[in-house]
Amino acid sequence: MNAIGAASSGGATAASDSSTTTKKNSKKPKYSRFTQQELPACKPILTPGLVITTFIVIGIIFIPVGLVSLFASEKVVEIVDRYDDGCVPRNYSNNKLAYIRSKLTDKSCTRTLNIVKPMKSPIYIYYQLDNFYQNHRRYVKSRSDKQLRSKKGESETKLCDPEGVSANGPIVPCGLIAWSLFNDTYKFKVKNKVLEVNKKNIAWKSDKSKKFGSDVYPKNFQSGGLIGGGQLNSSIPLSEQENLIVWMRTAALPTFRKLYGKIEEDLQANQQITVVIQNNYNTYSFGGKKKLVLSTTTWIGGKNDFLGIAYVTVGGLCLFFAISFILLYVVKPRPLGDPSYLSWNRNPAGHLN
Amino acid sequence: MHSAAVEAFDLWITASRQHLSIPSPTILNTRDLDTPPVSSEIEKPNSTYPTMNSGMDSKSPLENPSNTEFAGSTSSRPSISSLQYKASAGNSIKEVAFGDSGSRPVRYGSRGAESEALSTSQKEINEEDARLVYINDPGKTNERYEFAGNSVRTSKYSIVTFLPKNLFEQFHRVAYIYFLVIAVLNQLPQLAVFGRGASILPLAFVLLVTAIKDAYEDYRRHRSDKIENNRLAFVLVNGQFEQKKWKHIQVGEVIKIHANETMPCDMVLLSTSDPTGVAYVQTTNLDGESNLKTRYAKQETLLKINEGKFSGLIKCEKPNRNVYGFLANLEIDGKLLSLGPSNIILRGCELKNTAWALGVVVYAGRETKAMLNSSGAPSKRSWLETRMNYEIITLSFFLAALCTVVSVCAAVWLRRHRDELDYIVFFGKQEYSTGAAKDYNYYGWGAEMFLTFLMAVIVFQIMIPISLYISMELVRVGQAYFMIRDTQMYDEASDSRFQCRSLNINEDLGQIKYVFSDKTGTLTENKMEFRCASIWGVDFSGGNGASQNQQNGYSVQVDENIWRPKMSVKVDPELLRFLRMRKDAKEDNHVHDFFLALAACNTIVPLVVDTSDPHVKLVDYQGESPDEQALVYAAAAYGFMLMKRTTGYIVIDVQGDKQRFNVLGLHEFDSDRKRMSVILGCPDKTVKVFVKGADTSMFSVIDRSLNMDVRHTTEVHLRSYSSLGLRTLVIGMRELSATEFEQWHSSFKAASTSLIGRAALLREVAGNVENRLCILGATGIEDKLQQGVPEAIESLRMAGIKVWVLTGDKQETAISIGYSSRLLTDQMTQIQINSNSTESCRRRLDDAMAMSDNNTGGTSGAGSALIALIIDGTSLVYILDSELEEKLFQLASRCSVVLCCRVAPLQKAGIVALVKKRTADMTLAIGDGANDVSMIQMAAVGVGISGQEGRQAVMASDFAMGQFRFLVPLLLVHGHWNYQRMGYMILYNFYRNAVFVLILFWYVLFTCFTLTTAITEWSSMLYSVIYTSVPTIVVGILDKDLSRNTLQRWPQLYGAGHRQECYNNRLFWLTMIDTLWQSIAAFFVPLYAYWGSTIDGSSLGDLWTLAAVILVNLHLAMDVIRWNWISHAAIWGSIIVSFVCVVIIDALPILPGYWAIFHIGKTRLFWLCLLVIVVSALIPRFVIKVLYQYYRPCDVQIARETEKLGNQGELGAVEIEMN
Repeated sequence: MNAIGAASSGGATAASDSSTTTKKNSKKPKYSRFTQQELPACKPILTPGLVITTFIVIGIIFIPVGLVSLFASEKVVEIVDRYDDGCVPRNYSNNKLAYIRSKLTDKSCTRTLNIVKPMKSPIYIYYQLDNFYQNHRRYVKSRSDKQLRSKKGESETKLCDPEGVSANGPIVPCGLIAWSLFNDTYKFKVKNKVLEVNKKNIAWKSDKSKKFGSDVYPKNFQSGGLIGGGQLNSSIPLSEQENLIVWMRTAALPTFRKLYGKIEEDLQANQQITVVIQNNYNTYSFGGKKKLVLSTTTWIGGKNDFLGIAYVTVGGLCLFFAISFILLYVVKPRPLGDPSYLSWNRNPAGHLN
Repeated sequence: MHSAAVEAFDLWITASRQHLSIPSPTILNTRDLDTPPVSSEIEKPNSTYPTMNSGMDSKSPLENPSNTEFAGSTSSRPSISSLQYKASAGNSIKEVAFGDSGSRPVRYGSRGAESEALSTSQKEINEEDARLVYINDPGKTNERYEFAGNSVRTSKYSIVTFLPKNLFEQFHRVAYIYFLVIAVLNQLPQLAVFGRGASILPLAFVLLVTAIKDAYEDYRRHRSDKIENNRLAFVLVNGQFEQKKWKHIQVGEVIKIHANETMPCDMVLLSTSDPTGVAYVQTTNLDGESNLKTRYAKQETLLKINEGKFSGLIKCEKPNRNVYGFLANLEIDGKLLSLGPSNIILRGCELKNTAWALGVVVYAGRETKAMLNSSGAPSKRSWLETRMNYEIITLSFFLAALCTVVSVCAAVWLRRHRDELDYIVFFGKQEYSTGAAKDYNYYGWGAEMFLTFLMAVIVFQIMIPISLYISMELVRVGQAYFMIRDTQMYDEASDSRFQCRSLNINEDLGQIKYVFSDKTGTLTENKMEFRCASIWGVDFSGGNGASQNQQNGYSVQVDENIWRPKMSVKVDPELLRFLRMRKDAKEDNHVHDFFLALAACNTIVPLVVDTSDPHVKLVDYQGESPDEQALVYAAAAYGFMLMKRTTGYIVIDVQGDKQRFNVLGLHEFDSDRKRMSVILGCPDKTVKVFVKGADTSMFSVIDRSLNMDVRHTTEVHLRSYSSLGLRTLVIGMRELSATEFEQWHSSFKAASTSLIGRAALLREVAGNVENRLCILGATGIEDKLQQGVPEAIESLRMAGIKVWVLTGDKQETAISIGYSSRLLTDQMTQIQINSNSTESCRRRLDDAMAMSDNNTGGTSGAGSALIALIIDGTSLVYILDSELEEKLFQLASRCSVVLCCRVAPLQKAGIVALVKKRTADMTLAIGDGANDVSMIQMAAVGVGISGQEGRQAVMASDFAMGQFRFLVPLLLVHGHWNYQRMGYMILYNFYRNAVFVLILFWYVLFTCFTLTTAITEWSSMLYSVIYTSVPTIVVGILDKDLSRNTLQRWPQLYGAGHRQECYNNRLFWLTMIDTLWQSIAAFFVPLYAYWGSTIDGSSLGDLWTLAAVILVNLHLAMDVIRWNWISHAAIWGSIIVSFVCVVIIDALPILPGYWAIFHIGKTRLFWLCLLVIVVSALIPRFVIKVLYQYYRPCDVQIARETEKLGNQGELGAVEIEMN
């Protein structure tokens, strides 16, 4: 092969001498490292050293990260109270639907929460819905972002059917999402002292400023025969109706929490909190659960050990691989790049046939 | 050529009869021939010749008798093109061409069409089929028929037709139709999963890219058309020649062409600057042959036009593709003349050595033969692409399965909740506003199931990777770019680059198992060199030694100037001495006659070329046969220099003495006779016939009673020449008596003027005069091996490629070339099959099988038992297309080398088909001549050598290059790379899209099976178009698993392609399992990390999008072997671009996901999720890869390590060499 290479390069120089006359017409490709596919390149190969180092490095990084995450999750204090069943009076327990639909029944319900650990402010109040498919395709699509953004788009209700237009004109905000607005309310007391719930700034600023117009006021909302959820104060622009804005940011998964408000006071351990719930929202028709959640927060968000466990597992696995590979390389080594391992060298007879 | 000579001779006869008193323009006078030469010899009666011929045939003395049977071509270079050309010049194509093998019908598809086109030339012109051309009366010519104008259009589209036509062509692809159907489905309101814009985007993008590519190509064609159409030519208008644009030229117009101008259309020659009406043309543009060809104007038109009158009626056949045929009548002054191919000059030819030529346009524009022939190579499909279709079908099943799961689950959900549907907000059977019961878009669970299925198809559509098709196309273009620009595949001698004529089969180059090679011009240079001569029984084969000192060779003084042959030939000093010694010895003229025959018995035209020295002129011998050229140069070197050739006479400088020989007649070479002859009127008033031809045909016409010993020694010499690998010719001569001459002359004249069956008659005349010859001697011409051929063949063989050589040459020549090219080695057992009946073929095959059984059985432990099979064309006649085919294949597949000698072009294709039909192995055919076309088109990959022999092979090929040895870089380097890259790219594309689809699928399981996508529709459309496409293409074009040096040092590495290491079923399923795991990791980590949190759909969708993008790009990064700056830019760039795109999409307030990425991006959880997804998804692949590479390393892997860890490599190289 070298002979060919040498010959052709020899030919090339000879040609360049004689090519002064025909240089212009020569079709000889110009040499460049690019066209000859010889760009300088790094060619990593998986040497035992590299492999083991990779695994060890991943292990060393992942295990501490996992532990930190677990620790952070551990630090979160969370109180969860499921109240959907408990808040239905005993005589309605076989007919929850009738209870929740009736306008006459008393919907208020008092629950008592025990604070096990001290909670530092701010304490976030969430409501959690289980088995509520806010990500159902029809539900997700049933909104009109144009209408929400400005007054001009008021009549843009095409996507909102069947909750688009009422007898009196377009519904603002239209669509199933808005129509099914969550409308349970909570009032908190500690030792008969009312705990202030701050419901401001619970929605994303970006949504308030860009997605929900300050000139858009609720109109014809929940005016039909079937009420889906909460009412809206038609004198407050949508950009200020933060509970609606929170609700309209549809959840990704069928079990989700939404921010209800914040308590900006520390709570001591062993305190009892009395919650008065207006149990208005109908989750009984589809077997959904309602939960009230009080939670502090850390950098990892709510209480969730999954990520920490995942990190520790992956890190541990990597260390395990590192050790196994060290052992493998010691027990059964193969010299790298040894041509005697090439198939035709191992089995010279077999090759040419 | 033939009829040309005939006519010229005709002319000379008439001239000498009618204008006896007019002195001819040269010193020598026609008087020489006025008195026919007298000879006292008495001939035998004619009738004895045939019996004698046949008698000799049957016991032809040379090697084996079966050889004579077959019409391989021995003497002049056996290209069918030249045979065809010469024969068709005699107005009858049917005798030669592909009818060669006699009983075998013309088959093998692609040739069929052409042979049909050829056959149209043989028919007599019917009145209704004819096209009538009135000379110089374009008005009348064009009034009845609409003949095409002369403007040509090679472009496919115009601005108006571009869109519909281009779209129509693009939608020939099934995949595109699939995506179109999906885009249309998505427009139905019930199924509208995506917005209108988003759903059309990917298809539109793919269509747009292809359309832009097509438009650019077409624009270039438009431009070249415009230049072509606006060239100027002189056209006769109202008796004056005026300049006219080419596009305005009409059929029937008379055109004047000057020297070195190109023909604007096909025209019948009327007159030229030469008084005898000769014009020389160069047909490089048409068929690539650079030698000059002669064309003639008819005497009648010549005279008439010289008087200034242009009239007449040409009746010619309809336009057809046959470049070598033309059939027409010319009616002039009531006389009917026949016109043949020698009277027509085709578009694209250049006029040379002729001051001007006048012609009448017969075919113009797209009806010209050049245009009719300008169709491209047939498209082939690569093996990988064919194989890929199975995987595409598998993926379709996946897709269907996913959709079925979703739709069935959806139906089950609806059934289970059918009582609750009234209340559930999504279906609300009740009218929300009024409370009245009313279905809202609920069609019952059955219909919902069906709709869900269709919607699922829309959502999961990219399971079938549309972008793969466009990526493959771009990658192939990129690979072709690098192949074309490879300096190792640039041929200095012919200044030709590598050419990719077909862009579909790059990757097949990496899996070639059989190479079928032509010999002459492919393995050898087809530059003939005169090496040795046997004259009158004396062998002169020196010339290798001290001859170099007379570097100037022979030269002739003409006036003030010195004429010298352009090419010098090594001369045998002994022969030179011998010649000088004998110069005056009149009694023994054999040497003299021998060289005279070499100089005269040919169709070579000497051209005088100026050099930088004004006193030195070079004589360039132009001719169609390289053998003839070599012989004429040789004759010149020994002092018999051909100075001038006109139609009637030639001038030869015999040892400084210029002599004029009248050419009384010329019998062209044809493949039946396998010889040619010329009848010369010599200065000493004798008439001699000189014949040269293949040994087998010559020995049958030699007078056996004469010079027994000379004949015998010549035979011995011939055998030794051919065993040296030389091409041999035998020269003979005879002096004609006056009566013989008269007899011949009258029959020759009658034959050459007859309109029907002219060629057959001429052959008969030739047969009558070419007999009872006195043998003069034989010549040996070397067809040198091309540079690097032995090394290349060695490399190919080491790479596990079986090289078969198919040649028209004799067995001895073929075997000796086999040895010199290292195809055959001494260790090989040769099996030769030369049989002439089915029975004996069967016997030989059985024997050979038994022998190979023994061989392989007995020595399997000891080492490699190599068998070479040598088979000839005659045997193949009995074997191909019979039940013996299977046996031959069995045998051949055990042989490491197969040599087929004396095979006809169609047999070459038959042999390729023999292998192609029976195995899935890839075949490659390489050749340079028209006789290789059928084989090139038959093989999976056809490679044309753009060499000495015209462009037919190149035109039919998929790849074209200058030298045989470029096969090594082409296959071992580029083929290997292309295969590896393409195989990886296809698998990666499957994986890439499937991961994404699976992530969508998992999410669907958490949304009541309603096909919501958390990932925005824009991201899911851009995913395969922008987020992940560039790195695949870059890697597909640029990644190299091994360096060029390694691949060439260890050709065995090519076996990776044979073993299908880069693309196979196992890899596909492994990839799919990996895909499943990766999608699970990417989907479920965020799911559990965010379960029961406040996360909204858009944010989680962004997380999944980015996770998928980073994952697939890092997956690719893990597999990239060579990181150069371009791959860095592509991979990291893609990730960055994806981030940017996601940010842009989330910055649009109109979309529900507004600002989501900024919110989630602020949390550490998001980044930790990304990290753990990527790591956990890639760990299994990494571990398996490491284990495989370490404990089950493939050759490529070891070679790569060797490459990286240099010093150990040197050690290995030594070892290899010892092996």
